Amino acid sequence: MKKTLTTCPFCATGCMYYLQSDHDKFVGIEPSTVHSIAKGHPCVKGWNAFQFIHHPDRLTTPLIRKNGVLEAAGWEEALDLVVHTLPSLQARYGHDSIMFFSSARTTNEENYLFMKLARAVFKTNNVDHCARLCHSSSVLGLAATFGSGAMSNSISCVDEADTFFVIGSNTTENHPQIGARILQSVKRGAKLIVADSRTIRLAKAATLHLRHRNGSDVALINGMMHVIIRDGLENREFIESRTQNYEQLKNTVLRYPPSIVAEITGLTPQEIIDAAHLYATSPAAMIIYSVGITQHTHGVDNVRSLANLAMLTGHVGRPGTGVNPLRGQNNVQGACDMGALPNVFSGYQKVADEAVRQKFVNEWRVADLPAHAGLPMTRALNAAERGEIKGLYIVGEDPVISDPDQGHVRNALQQLDFLVVQDIFLTATAEYADVVLPAACFAEKDGTFTSTERRIQRVRKAALPIGGARADWEIFCEIASRAGYKYMHYNAPSEIMDEIARVTPIYGGISYSRIDQIGLQWPCLDEHHPGTPILHVGRFVGGMGCFCPAEYRPPAETPDAEYPFILTTGRSYFHYHTGSMTRRTRLLEREENRSYVEINPVDAHRLGIRDRDFVMVATRRGEIVMSARMTKDITPGVLFITFHFEESPGNLLTNNALDPESHIPEYKVCAARITRKP
Amino acid sequence: MVSCFEKKQYSERGNCDCFHFGVFMDSRIGHAAYEPAIYSIHSISDLTPHEKLFRIEIPDAVDFRHEPGQFVQLSVWGWGEAPISISNSPTRKGYLEFAIRHAGSLTGALHQMRPGSKIGLRGPFGNGFDVNRLRSQNLLLIAGGCGLAPLRSLIQYCEDCRDEFMDIRILYGAKTPHDLLYKSDLAAWMESETFDCRIIVDFVAPNHGYSGKIGLLPELIPPLEVEAENTTAVLVGPPMMYPFVVEALRKKGLDDERIMVSLERHMKCGIGKCGHCAIDHFSCCIDGPVFLLRDLQGTEWAG
Amino acid sequence: MKTITCDQFHHFLYSIREDFEIVGPVILHDGTLSLGRLTAEPLALFAGRIPFRFTSLFFPHSERLFAMSDEYRFDKSGSSAKPLLVVGWRAEDLEALEFIDEFFRTGFRDDVFCDRRQSSVVIGVSGRCGVNGEFCRISEGKCDMELIYDGKHFIMAEYTENGRFLSEKIVWGEETDSLEALLQESRALRTPEREILQTASQLLMRNQVDDDFWAEIADRCIQCTSCTNVCPTCTCFDVYDMRLKRKIERYRMWDSCQMSGFMREASGHNPLASQSDRTRRRIRHKLVDDLHRWGRMTCFLCGRCDDVCPTGIGMKAVAAEIVERFG
Ligand SMILES: Cc1cc2nc3c(=O)[nH]c(=O)nc-3n(C[C@H](O)[C@H](O)[C@H](O)COP(=O)(O)OP(=O)(O)OC[C@H]3O[C@@H](n4cnc5c(N)ncnc54)[C@H](O)[C@@H]3O)c2cc1C
Ligand code: SF4
Ligand code: SF4
Ligand code: FES
Repeated sequence: MKKTLTTCPFCATGCMYYLQSDHDKFVGIEPSTVHSIAKGHPCVKGWNAFQFIHHPDRLTTPLIRKNGVLEAAGWEEALDLVVHTLPSLQARYGHDSIMFFSSARTTNEENYLFMKLARAVFKTNNVDHCARLCHSSSVLGLAATFGSGAMSNSISCVDEADTFFVIGSNTTENHPQIGARILQSVKRGAKLIVADSRTIRLAKAATLHLRHRNGSDVALINGMMHVIIRDGLENREFIESRTQNYEQLKNTVLRYPPSIVAEITGLTPQEIIDAAHLYATSPAAMIIYSVGITQHTHGVDNVRSLANLAMLTGHVGRPGTGVNPLRGQNNVQGACDMGALPNVFSGYQKVADEAVRQKFVNEWRVADLPAHAGLPMTRALNAAERGEIKGLYIVGEDPVISDPDQGHVRNALQQLDFLVVQDIFLTATAEYADVVLPAACFAEKDGTFTSTERRIQRVRKAALPIGGARADWEIFCEIASRAGYKYMHYNAPSEIMDEIARVTPIYGGISYSRIDQIGLQWPCLDEHHPGTPILHVGRFVGGMGCFCPAEYRPPAETPDAEYPFILTTGRSYFHYHTGSMTRRTRLLEREENRSYVEINPVDAHRLGIRDRDFVMVATRRGEIVMSARMTKDITPGVLFITFHFEESPGNLLTNNALDPESHIPEYKVCAARITRKP
Repeated sequence: MVSCFEKKQYSERGNCDCFHFGVFMDSRIGHAAYEPAIYSIHSISDLTPHEKLFRIEIPDAVDFRHEPGQFVQLSVWGWGEAPISISNSPTRKGYLEFAIRHAGSLTGALHQMRPGSKIGLRGPFGNGFDVNRLRSQNLLLIAGGCGLAPLRSLIQYCEDCRDEFMDIRILYGAKTPHDLLYKSDLAAWMESETFDCRIIVDFVAPNHGYSGKIGLLPELIPPLEVEAENTTAVLVGPPMMYPFVVEALRKKGLDDERIMVSLERHMKCGIGKCGHCAIDHFSCCIDGPVFLLRDLQGTEWAG
Repeated sequence: MKTITCDQFHHFLYSIREDFEIVGPVILHDGTLSLGRLTAEPLALFAGRIPFRFTSLFFPHSERLFAMSDEYRFDKSGSSAKPLLVVGWRAEDLEALEFIDEFFRTGFRDDVFCDRRQSSVVIGVSGRCGVNGEFCRISEGKCDMELIYDGKHFIMAEYTENGRFLSEKIVWGEETDSLEALLQESRALRTPEREILQTASQLLMRNQVDDDFWAEIADRCIQCTSCTNVCPTCTCFDVYDMRLKRKIERYRMWDSCQMSGFMREASGHNPLASQSDRTRRRIRHKLVDDLHRWGRMTCFLCGRCDDVCPTGIGMKAVAAEIVERFG
């Protein structure tokens, strides 16, 4: 009976618990009762996180495509193929003809090494990861306004807030521990504004539930700011001492009186006024949002508007306030921090910055590093479709299921000359691969994950990797050394963290010995720094806060006669993203084993659809069959689907229209049609 | 030291009074609580487009005894276990028959199997129909859909021990004529003097040769003449059927002591441990699946 | 009756390490109190109640029931050679254990549980052994041996043959007869929570709690299943197969009635379809149904579900709310 303290591999809430193993077999979970977030109660996914580890479907040997089929191969052969093919593509088509998709599922150390591999060994900045699909808008929007793209406050701040403004986040389902804490705070008297067209669980406890039209967020927030300024509820002192560009904001929101906003959002003017008053007059108000805000063609605008709202009222830099993007993947915060992004090194240090580049040149002992930003992953797939990207190395990600417009993704993957997929299961994407490398999962390696509250926490090896699988970091080191690069050799992940700390100011004080029991929150500048639970206290990370007003723009696709419904997507509480882990977990799969579409009974009756009927949902990109789930929780005219199910993949339908700045796709709104399947 | 250590003695059988078929424990197949006995499928035949009949031969050496209405836990290796009613009467010895609908993963895998394939069996479990209570009574045996599978064991029992009962009427409803289980048995029962057997289907596709009644099962009850004081009704069918049939029976004057229902619940263990089949304080797998309506009063049985 | 110091007791445990697998309260890496094997560190006998489901020793989170090879040969999971010696459970824990013992052996005997349980010895701890020296109720007989702490020593009460057998092996300690005072103190402990629970049970039995109440509680449940996973008297499990290369393995693992798939049948019919049905069942099962079936409520007020519920709707909290609103 062995109990290994580790961090949950599912969402970025970052619960820690003990994995119980018996003779290298995983037999259960025991929560940590001391951990500040988990407090003895993981969510249902956490409680079941031990089951997929030894699932018989785990990849245990490398696979190489021979005569069109993937066949088992040795590590030697597989790694040699990778190390020979990628440079030869570069030699023929240029350095930037290959692309690296890093993984928010793997550790910080691995993300760091992967971007080091791309930049130092293969000399390209073409490295990105799935944050592109979830919070790239936050990174940009918050950097522009506050100077830092991460969650401004801590999860524990939920206990201290008097008012919550939750928008675009189904918190109880997707960040259960945070959602539960909000419910607890409401029980003790805090006010809750939920802006969501669906009656999510939080909406049932809400003081005010705003069912605004999907995609009308900027208008709603501008409207609230209009009311706040009109009624003199803005925080003058804060605006004057800590921000700039206020006049411009004022001019913009002047054009959003409640009457006009009501028309755009479908709310009543009074609802907008009430929300504005509730938020502005509360002593400590906390904005919580997630991908319902970011995954729009106006995602960056949404984020900026929220930041504007917080600055206008001075709800930043204190306990119980802030603008708090809840990150999705267990380590998506870390993957961003580690610079698995096309334009920055670890710690958001720009590749364009000469001095920064020189620092990395010295640390990595290379002659030079590429200075121009690489491609974001959404653009890279477009480039692959056009034949401009020839080689792709994907780690722990399944774009066929997770990226919008599946037909387009499949086509892009087919165009590639060479695809390497490194994963723990044979995913839908791996089926296009030329080489598949079997990786160790979270329970089989050491490392760290960074949770949504910027807390760097330990992941521990509880058993040896299954079969011939290897830890991702070991694979990267092996590839680097085979490619002739000498400075990627480490005895253990702790040494990688030491290197990260040397070159990454915000991680400067992180070492395994300091985070042995409980993690630290970055910025943590040196070995004596206690970490930073709340950002922007007294001063914004970027100096002065900067109001960045935004105008309302409708979504890229709006309902019309042919496709009369708004289709929006999200997750089920019981599954995690592409489901490769949760769908191999007995109780979770039993709970939800096929895809469904939520539809309001009014719409359903009109179309002759009954509960659990098979229906066809179609958009301009494709159609899928799923079962109908009638619920009043969704507004008439809107359909909701999830994207966990390979059999009827939600992302066959979604729109690959991108935000012009963050290149995030508009998952949250597209036009659709639904018919009963005869 | 260990040698002096005393293992606690736990009785093999406890004292739960709901356990009146405990006597059959000795003839259970599969000895450890969760370890099935392995059997080959002897033969398979189609009953409907969705249901197949599976037959298992029981060797003479195995002393297997069951009651009509009991079930087994049937293992399909790699897919788990499912409760399946024994469809033949204990009076017809040497074999077991199961009528199984393709409902999901396990039953789907089972439908792929061929004669000779190996399955696992534990059981028999559950109380079965209380035949003592049915003796010397007029019987109304009512089945909807798949419910004929367990009820057939009782019908066969009545056929083989005809003298023990008074008038026996069989009412059976299915969605369409295709979905009628045991079509040849039904034809024989309709022919025979032994029973008064009536059939009804919800709807019929155009040009189908079916000439019988069309409608919902409860519609068969009002025309019947029922001597309420010595009639007992037995119901097996989908949950939605019960309220309507019970209502119709009550109108005929049958009180809750004269209505026996067999309930379906999600079951994992069959032996009262896993908790899936609970109906308030009852465990459907050991206290049921057959209940007198009287005993269910105040519980959430119809939920 | 003998008295023995904590050190002496540990000496004794070390002396029988070869013969028993010794398990007791230990502190894990980050300070979480748990059950673990005796190591060089002494057991954390005074660190309070173990927050996790301690009955997991006999009924683990997941366990293999058997493996079956291609040739249809069974391989039962091997039981450990040594008998288990468990130290440190409290009176409520022992009551819960007594109940699940009865549960698993009554009717069809659950051999997987019973075989493991049979070869084990349980030593309870009570008396002035709380974290701050509070008095913990004395179980008076629901284990093989009880160590009753008087502030300085353990007084050893042996209740079974196995308990006496162990006690005879202990060469230290002096005879004492000072247990009476402690027993009186234990019996005088007030248990207002038990009364609340009983009142709630009666209200439920008389159907005085309306549906709106359950809907309201259910809206707060995020279905984390923590409550049913830490409860020592929750015994529900799921059974499933794993298909490996040349064999299949059948497992069972803890299940939770708080999930909608728990009772859903293949037909789609679900007696516990709504969360309010499920929340009602979680409470009623322990306070009403088990009273009917087993002659007692099966919540022993250990408080684990209240401690873990992220939204504050554990058993004690709900019972108190029932009494407040409907009592
Ligand atoms: C006492 C007893 C006796 C029985 N006797 C018989 C018998 O004689 N013959 C017989 O055929 N059956 C009988 N049954 C029923 C039988 O046990 C089930 O049909 C069987 O367990 C189904 O198992 P499965 O693995 O094939 O289905 P599973 O795969 O477990 O079932 C899943 C099915 O339900 C659907 N489903 C799952 N989740 C949902 C959801 N969220 N919404 C809608 N649908 C969903 C799936 O699509 C699938 O079709 C009996 C049951 C009991 C309790
Ligand atoms: S999925 Fe998220 S909330 Fe659930 S246990 Fe894991 S980290 Fe915690
Ligand atoms: S612990 Fe609380 S929130 Fe979790 S399942 Fe139980 S009652 Fe629901
Ligand atoms: S089937 Fe397990 S308790 Fe009834």
